[in-house]
Amino acid sequence: MPDDQKFLADIQSDSADARFSAWRQAGEVSPSVIPQLGKLAASASPGVAKAAREALTTMTHSVGKDPAAPNRAAVVKGLLEVAGGGFALPARVHALRLLSGIAGEDSVPAIARRIHDPDLREEAAYAIERIPGDASVKALMAAYKEANDDFKPRILAALGHRRAPDAAGLCVEAMRSANKDIAVAGVKAFGRIGRKPASPPRLPDEKSLSEWQRIDTMDSMLRYADAQGREGNAAEAMRIYRTALERPEPHWQCAAVIGLARLASSEAAAAIFPKLKSDNRIVRITAEKAWKSMAVPAPG
Amino acid sequence: MKTRRTFLSQTTAAAGGAFLFDIVPARALGLQGQTPPSDTINFGHIGIGGRGRGFLRPEANLGKPVPASTNLGGDGSRMLRPARSMALCDVDAARLDDAATRVGGRPKMYKDFRRLLEDKDVDAVYIASPDHWHALMTIMACQAGKDVYVEKPACNTIEEGRAMVAAAERYGRVVQVGSQGRSQTAAWQAANYIRGGRLGTVRKVLCWHYASPDGDWTPDAEPPQGLDYDMWVGPARWLPYNVKHTHGAFRWMIDFGGGQIRDRGAHVMSIANWIMDCDHTGPVSVDAKGDPPRDGMYDSAVTMEVTYEFKNPDWTLVWAQPGVPSAELDARYGAVYWGDNERITVTLGDGAGTATDQKVKDYAAQCDCGKAFRSPGHSENFEDCIRTREKPIMHMEAAHRVASLCILGNVAFQLQRKLDWDPVNERVLNDDEANCMLSRPGRGPWHL
Repeated sequence: MPDDQKFLADIQSDSADARFSAWRQAGEVSPSVIPQLGKLAASASPGVAKAAREALTTMTHSVGKDPAAPNRAAVVKGLLEVAGGGFALPARVHALRLLSGIAGEDSVPAIARRIHDPDLREEAAYAIERIPGDASVKALMAAYKEANDDFKPRILAALGHRRAPDAAGLCVEAMRSANKDIAVAGVKAFGRIGRKPASPPRLPDEKSLSEWQRIDTMDSMLRYADAQGREGNAAEAMRIYRTALERPEPHWQCAAVIGLARLASSEAAAAIFPKLKSDNRIVRITAEKAWKSMAVPAPG
Repeated sequence: MKTRRTFLSQTTAAAGGAFLFDIVPARALGLQGQTPPSDTINFGHIGIGGRGRGFLRPEANLGKPVPASTNLGGDGSRMLRPARSMALCDVDAARLDDAATRVGGRPKMYKDFRRLLEDKDVDAVYIASPDHWHALMTIMACQAGKDVYVEKPACNTIEEGRAMVAAAERYGRVVQVGSQGRSQTAAWQAANYIRGGRLGTVRKVLCWHYASPDGDWTPDAEPPQGLDYDMWVGPARWLPYNVKHTHGAFRWMIDFGGGQIRDRGAHVMSIANWIMDCDHTGPVSVDAKGDPPRDGMYDSAVTMEVTYEFKNPDWTLVWAQPGVPSAELDARYGAVYWGDNERITVTLGDGAGTATDQKVKDYAAQCDCGKAFRSPGHSENFEDCIRTREKPIMHMEAAHRVASLCILGNVAFQLQRKLDWDPVNERVLNDDEANCMLSRPGRGPWHL
């Protein structure tokens, strides 16, 4: 194992080659140097700052593959210290990003505290969004309750990206918000999670939405329908697809036709049938293709 | 199990007994006497810097015979279909103004691409933004019902690519990705030659390319007036503005681009994947070695050699910068295809100048035994597909698989370890950190 002091001296060297050689070997250095690297990561010398950041990255990757790697806990602990305070913002941001790749559930509470820090909330949400396990979902849901309105959509996006079934209820609640950014973020997360709630969700009033919010809302419901179809809940999927079929927008009709074809039922075929005569060429071609794809070969 | 007969009888009943056969006569489908599609395609353009300018359709050309650009693969004999650039979008006001001047007429001008996508007069979009925007813009364009030509590489993460495939399929949109090498005559000739069995079994494809720049230290600065820099960064990690990582230089940063392997690998390896019939699969392992920049602000590999092993059939693909150039043809980059019998070269793969050996050209002139699809040109193929609704030559799944090669090469390089890849489930085996790097949460309001 390289000598810690020599390693740190090389990271601060005037020679770019010496710095490079040091940070490429950082995986063999004791994690006890992480706080010093955290300080150097904000050095006024851009070459030294880069070398320190790269050393932290190399050290993280060296323990990233094996959850039982001997130094992994020590690396995580060191990075949490840098992310926690007393370090310059670029170093804290970098530490959070590295933690997103290797931290476990036990690190989530410490990271979640940063979600209320205006300078770090984006990176904290990024990290928690990536860390596997239920603790992350619970932390995001708890953070949502306390977050400012301008950050609630970001947290809902994280929950949607996680496909967190436990968050479906929170999304339905968000849809009822008078703040349309939050309401549409709720719809988007709900669509990505794709879990059927106990009672049908109340979508935001379409007339109150901007054009793009309207597009996002229908897209999310189509994603939800696709998920319901995959889970075998054809009736719920049909309900959404029928709504889309009745809309004047040709591409929503196309999405409904394609989704219906995947259901491959006689009811779905019946719903597609009128679109074979659509006045819109793209809808008609889409329906023809869907129709052909639904033919079931006879056995033997 | 449901049979054709039971399916049809149930379907017929559900439809009120309106039909009896699954092959419906054209008359019943309303195909006879249908209104022909509009003759003119209305394009929107998102990102109109260096690359994006090449797709503009000046208003003055409308109604005139204009030869398709050979840069995009055509042989120069085909005339462009009627189209107009009716809407333009860029986050840089100077570029927007420049594009409007080039187009002439009165194009609609937008700084926020969502407003362009909301425009119901726009049929299809050309997207030539920086790489980190490709996925979201493509997905959102599909949501808005537009067909899409998006520049290569398709995406910055594996998750983005899969989401783009899903969006194109969900809405039945035509998506062509700008690896135009597949539309080049030389690539078609090589595909024909190899698929015709002239090389024997191909066991390895060796790409070569010159190294990436290692950069310098240029101080961060205030963004220039007229550039909406927050929108430029969009879903990527926030970095202060720096002239050396925006516009054309973004590609040397992993967050925005990803180095030569993504920029040119998306051309050279696109042809390899096409010829080797790997548009729906991927390697089983990826190993990388090389050097990152020793100093300076960039973080993508300066030199690298990435080895991809494929199974069933077994073959090896190597991306090397620099690597070993072809002994037969002189070019700055390309690939040598090694078969049991002999070898051939395909150079470049991105535009005019793509070439292959004389014996390959001679073979193609007398025989199309390989039966490779011959694209009329990349844009022309896209515009044909807008009308036919068929998949273009660089459809989204193929583009995602090519981008996956580039992305996995970078991940293996960053982690400095070999990755065992499951090309069906698109996961790295036994490596959670590597799997974590297959996706990147978005920033602010920008999420998949």
